[in-house]
Amino acid sequence: MEYVYGIIIIVGLYVVLATSFNLIIGYGGLVSIAHPVFFALGAYTSAVLSRDFGVPVLLAMFAGMVVAVVASVALTLPTLRVSGDYLLIASIGFQLGLLEVIKNLRFTGGPGGFTNIPPFLIRDFGRESYVILVLAVTIAVVLLVRLIARSDYGRAMSAMRDDEQAFASVGRDAMWMKIVIFGLGSGIAGFAGALYAHYYRFITPEQFEILQSAAILTMVVVGGVRTTWGPVVGALLLQALPQALTFLHLPPSVLGPIQGLLFTGLVLVFMFVRPQGLVPAENVWRDRTPRSRTGEGG
Amino acid sequence: MTGVLEVKNLNKSFDGIVVARGINLSLTAGKVLGLIGPNGAGKTSFFNLISGVVKPDSGAVTLAGVSIDRLKSHERVRHGLSRTWQHIRLFPSLTVLDNLLVGTHDYPGESLLSVLLAHARLKQHDKIARERAADVLGRMGLSQVADALVSDLPYGQQKLIGVARALMGDARCLLLDEPMAGVEGQSYAAMQRVVRDAADCGVAVCVVEHNVGFIQDLCDEGVFMFSGAIMARGSVAELIRDPQLTELYFGH
Ligand SMILES: Nc1ncnc2c1ncn2[C@@H]1O[C@H](COP(=O)(O)OP(=O)(O)O)[C@@H](O)[C@H]1O
Ligand SMILES: [Mg+2]
Repeated sequence: MEYVYGIIIIVGLYVVLATSFNLIIGYGGLVSIAHPVFFALGAYTSAVLSRDFGVPVLLAMFAGMVVAVVASVALTLPTLRVSGDYLLIASIGFQLGLLEVIKNLRFTGGPGGFTNIPPFLIRDFGRESYVILVLAVTIAVVLLVRLIARSDYGRAMSAMRDDEQAFASVGRDAMWMKIVIFGLGSGIAGFAGALYAHYYRFITPEQFEILQSAAILTMVVVGGVRTTWGPVVGALLLQALPQALTFLHLPPSVLGPIQGLLFTGLVLVFMFVRPQGLVPAENVWRDRTPRSRTGEGG
Repeated sequence: MTGVLEVKNLNKSFDGIVVARGINLSLTAGKVLGLIGPNGAGKTSFFNLISGVVKPDSGAVTLAGVSIDRLKSHERVRHGLSRTWQHIRLFPSLTVLDNLLVGTHDYPGESLLSVLLAHARLKQHDKIARERAADVLGRMGLSQVADALVSDLPYGQQKLIGVARALMGDARCLLLDEPMAGVEGQSYAAMQRVVRDAADCGVAVCVVEHNVGFIQDLCDEGVFMFSGAIMARGSVAELIRDPQLTELYFGH
């Protein structure tokens, strides 16, 4: 059972990561690869604060989220001031640089990782309670991003993606909007990191490498960018399928390559057969307004 | 009486091309000023300089008595400066109505917090904004396309929507860059009326337009711009009749 719980938790956390990344890169149009490092910041902040500074775990988790938000502003504020094009390059430096810092600090445990992270809920209420917590957070995040995308804020994000200068010419602040979107997405990733840390109770820098960013992006793209369920489906497919394969009891020498092939194959298939992703792109602002008023939509 | 918009000694050049040559100009509340000049005279650049899209080399601009030189584009708009674009620049992924709604003056939907927390205020604003948008669209004869995607509409209608969107912000000063270019005849009267109505409500309007008839019918006064400099100011009829200006306008 513990194994199944582990899968549910990891899939749930990847749904959270993919959904928050969809907010940033899909709805916000902000091209960045620095999502794993915010995941890491949340994990390490919460782990260090709770183990070494006696901060209650729940508080430490929120601190992890706050640190991720603050770090995201440190990335977006200077780069977006110059031009949006710098964000991608700066995010690469940010991702690699910060992880290098984590690897070389003493209080983070360095490259060997950080152990003995205090557990949360599980001792008092059992493993199920943590599964429920993660599922609740996952559902909340998916619904939150959906709510935002379909709100007036979503309409403004759509306008901002269309034409930033025109957006400014109607009195809207594109830069602030981008900082907020990026901050929210990164904060969510940070919270996911904290949830990860207190379940597995051991984290190492490798878990947050730049490659993770490719995995999360693949989930968003395969599932369907700028959709509610795309990142959910993508995360399920790309996390649960490889996990499910392990049930086949194949020898590790075969299993590893098969999982790799599956991953690459899926991406290739989608690039050629269904570039829009599994879940068809919903242009909320194209579909919603006419239908809700004229009622002619099918 | 000082103008709503006061431009003092505005200068700008791009690698040797002078687009603003010591421009002094004042726009008055309730008046429509026509800005006439040949292609490349610097009319669009003038709008870009005032609206904060392009930084001037020197000069000062005040709006309603307050210096806006240090304000960013969107801040100037919030202060009451509204403009349209020669090349329209609508939000193609949105419907006509949504284009206008994003363009409202106080748009609570821009703040994530107000979206997540203050549903009552949003609803109230939304109702007022929709009524206003319906009014503007009605006056421009665009009611029937309110729910259409702007990218599906012909160029002339998009041009009208660009003006409609600019009218959604509570502007003290409205800059219109060639509003009639590509617009069919039937919208002529609507455009005249809408701009005149705005002026009658106390907005200071400046219109760049090559359609001389349109300018003559609409404007209280005109200025002639050539090579980044204001050459003359007077009634539009006078400016058109001036043989020297005509020669500058049509070239040699
Ligand atoms: N961003 C820019 N960079 C370089 N040159 C520019 C720029 N904007 C305008 N110009 C030049 O300035 C001159 C005036 O252009 P513009 O203001 O568009 O004139 P108009 O609107 O009167 O036709 C043109 O020669 C144009 O090429
Ligand atoms: Mg022009």
